Amino acid sequence: MWVYEKKLLYPVEVGECNPKLARYLMEQYGGADGELAAALRYMNQRYTVPTKVIGVLNDIATEEFSHLEMLATMIYKLTKDATPEQLVEAGLGAHFANHGHSLFYENAAGVPWTASYIQSKGDPIADLYEDIAAEEKARATYQWLIDISDDVLINDSLRFLRERENIHSLRFRESVEILKDERDRKKIF
Amino acid sequence: MNLSAFEEEREMMLRVQEADFVVVELTLYTNTHPDEPEALEQWREAIKKAAQIRRQYENRYGPLSLLSIPSEEAIEMGWRWNQAPWPWQR
Repeated sequence: MWVYEKKLLYPVEVGECNPKLARYLMEQYGGADGELAAALRYMNQRYTVPTKVIGVLNDIATEEFSHLEMLATMIYKLTKDATPEQLVEAGLGAHFANHGHSLFYENAAGVPWTASYIQSKGDPIADLYEDIAAEEKARATYQWLIDISDDVLINDSLRFLRERENIHSLRFRESVEILKDERDRKKIF
Repeated sequence: MNLSAFEEEREMMLRVQEADFVVVELTLYTNTHPDEPEALEQWREAIKKAAQIRRQYENRYGPLSLLSIPSEEAIEMGWRWNQAPWPWQR
């Protein structure tokens, strides 16, 4: 089970209303390599991986949900005071027509999130390699978002998230090595 | 320095976030490095420190988690879980 913590993993401050930046950030909210995909990918894979790496998948999945909440906070704060005209100008007219000021799991181009973004092979090495790739793609996306954004406060939170993807990638790489060691030991005895 | 009540709360929230993050990070690290006594010791210390800072925050501003025990003061002041601000409203 999970118990809600009434705080963010890391502070999220925004400079000013900026629906255009919010739209780009949706890539990490509901995009293929975004936080929703990450959380659900690991949460689903954890049941069938060897016991030694369950903790890694469980804990990273949980952290990804806290990243998702940070992204939602950014998007909410950047759009809450925007007028319909400002949303249209930022390319969020179609979003507003369907969702008003509410958030939705979609990418920067407005494509809704789909389960086909994530995989589950029942093969721990295949799954972990997918997870490493997912973290590297998320890290690259955060870099592109930092390159686009001129909001220094948002960029501080984005840099934190980019570094977390690095750490997660590292922990998944170590998990691969742990499984390879185990496999090799079985061959010897 | 005279901090406003608002700034004081923010400052304490930041300390909770810092202390909790150390626990998150060390937990992940020890997941893949179970045989490093130094890391395990750091993790044990981090858990204790985070609990202590959390207690200080919660005694003043109310529980952060559904399972935290509200302080006497918080109960007297009519504290409710459903009270704003929620994290995205800060």
